[in-house]
Amino acid sequence: MAGLNDDAQWIVLMGFVVSFSLFFLAMLLNQSTLVGQTTAEGVLDFPKNDVRDVKDVITESVMLYTSGRDSPSNATVVQLDIESLALSRKNAVVGYTPIDEIALPTSSDKHTRISIHYNNGVTEYNEYWTSL
Amino acid sequence: MVNDTGQLYTIEGIAAALIMLFSAYLVLSATSVYTPGDTHISDMQLEQLGTDALRMMNTPINSSSAKSPLQEIVETNNATYFNETFLNYVNNKTELKTDNLHYSAVVTYRNITNGNTTWNYPLSSNRNLTGGEHPVRVTEWVLANIQAGSNVKQNRAILVEVLLWRD
Amino acid sequence: MTDNAGTLSIDFLAGFTIFLIAFIYVATLIPGLFIGLQSRTIDYDAVAYRTGVILVEDPGMPYNPSWENLDDYHKGEVLRFGLAVSKDTPNILSSQKVDRFFCTTWTYPDDYRSRVIFGNYPYMFNISFQPAGSNLTRSIGDDPPDEYGYIRRVVKIKGISNASIDDSTIQTYKFNSSDNVTTDVFSIHLNFTNLLEDEPNPAYQINPYNDQIMVNVSGMNAKVIPIPPITAPLPTNLTAIQICRSKPISTNLHPPVVCFANFTSPIVDNNQVDLPYPIENNLSLIIPPGFITTDLADANTQLYFNLTFDHYNAGILSEEKGYLNSTGSGPFEYNYDPKNITLPKLQDGVLEVSVW
Repeated sequence: MAGLNDDAQWIVLMGFVVSFSLFFLAMLLNQSTLVGQTTAEGVLDFPKNDVRDVKDVITESVMLYTSGRDSPSNATVVQLDIESLALSRKNAVVGYTPIDEIALPTSSDKHTRISIHYNNGVTEYNEYWTSL
Repeated sequence: MVNDTGQLYTIEGIAAALIMLFSAYLVLSATSVYTPGDTHISDMQLEQLGTDALRMMNTPINSSSAKSPLQEIVETNNATYFNETFLNYVNNKTELKTDNLHYSAVVTYRNITNGNTTWNYPLSSNRNLTGGEHPVRVTEWVLANIQAGSNVKQNRAILVEVLLWRD
Repeated sequence: MTDNAGTLSIDFLAGFTIFLIAFIYVATLIPGLFIGLQSRTIDYDAVAYRTGVILVEDPGMPYNPSWENLDDYHKGEVLRFGLAVSKDTPNILSSQKVDRFFCTTWTYPDDYRSRVIFGNYPYMFNISFQPAGSNLTRSIGDDPPDEYGYIRRVVKIKGISNASIDDSTIQTYKFNSSDNVTTDVFSIHLNFTNLLEDEPNPAYQINPYNDQIMVNVSGMNAKVIPIPPITAPLPTNLTAIQICRSKPISTNLHPPVVCFANFTSPIVDNNQVDLPYPIENNLSLIIPPGFITTDLADANTQLYFNLTFDHYNAGILSEEKGYLNSTGSGPFEYNYDPKNITLPKLQDGVLEVSVW
């Protein structure tokens, strides 16, 4: 040990100190910077408006059919429209109760009930919708 | 001839340099430069504004059984009315200030006579897309009585797609 | 042994040079660490977005009875502000909620921070609202500095319904009886089953619990022609507003109408007045939002407001053709018929939230 030259110890030690302190500072400051970016990404990723919008158009079409203002064949055309456009343009699988399976309202039960399904690969949404 | 007296110095110098370079690399690769991150926030603001505007255009004014303005626009293909209403919604701020947003809108539909493929036609725009803008895409489903990709005029579900960007 | 020759060994120089080059290179990279560290601005946008969603897409808490109908004394019971008419109608705001939100009862910033901004950090904020076609921008809070988080929402505001009764309405419904009577009774009928079921969408519904009921009568000419020796015409007085209702129960689906209370200080001509109140030409009656509670009338009730006009003035009965009398023709229906009522319309608006 006596023969080893320890003149460069300080340089190496200072090197360690500087690099570790830089690392530590950057880690600390780094934590806070991701907050807003991931929030904005989270908002963009979650399909809130897509789900609301597709649910609105599905219920509008179903209510047109059950109130008699639209024929079953026409309502089926709209159903195919929604399902294929959602898949090709919105990258989402959308499905709802086929028109011929929807029970028309009677005097004892005025409500219309359907089941809505939405899946865009990241978020899945299922709902049993009853009209007011 | 070669003297190995200074080996330790050199090795220690190289080791110190390598340590510093390596930790600096670790630290810097962990932070990202914020310019791309910022666009997520302005994208989110634009997307929320665009969907709000389209949603309000698709709300009937008087009662739930009436037609909404957007339904009438699609049925009559009225580009000027769409232009006026949409720009109004999207550019108005409080205290009578205005923003400077531009858009390009198309109507997408399912073409029944052509193998159920998806076609579109332009609805309205206030500026042509040159490719240098950073637009956001917002959409709105509309149930409209039109003849699109079929032989009859009937109630169809179409998608109004709008590309929205800021200058 | 230390060398005092004044020269450094080549090996030391080489080692030190390598070290110094590396150190200088790293030192020049340090400013890059701080390029994007605007954490505050980024966080502000997230808080502004969240506040925008809470205001525009949420109806607030408590929802039933609605928070805007709580008076100043109970303001501590308001847990969260929300301007939407209901949770099923996002972006459609209720004008009563907007008015109450911008009321001076709430102090900036504390009352708002705990009810709409949330979070531990004391954010400063500015919430501004402008209806379309109006120069007036309502706002809460200070002016924003150079860097702030921001969101803008496009909304519609649900208007107020009102009934306008003028000469033609009176002729159509035969509300003027031609008999000489001392008192006239005019009845306004609220059929809750019809009101709530004919238009189930809260954005277009006349909701008597949360909206105000307004009746404007014009052209009454309700002056009592005196018998001489009195020469000046005397006014007719609105003497009472009775609240009557018919609430079906399981055993009797069509029970009789029972009058059980008096509306003692109504809002007539935009002021809270005491009865009897003199009427000349016009009458504007407002039943304020929150007055009709679910105890008073549930979803199956028929509610009647009977207005009594007294022509018996200072002990002098005179000739007067009965004006605004619904006893013969049936009560005035406050429903969705556009001949009777101006329906609530949706008006555009824009809401901006800035946070810093």
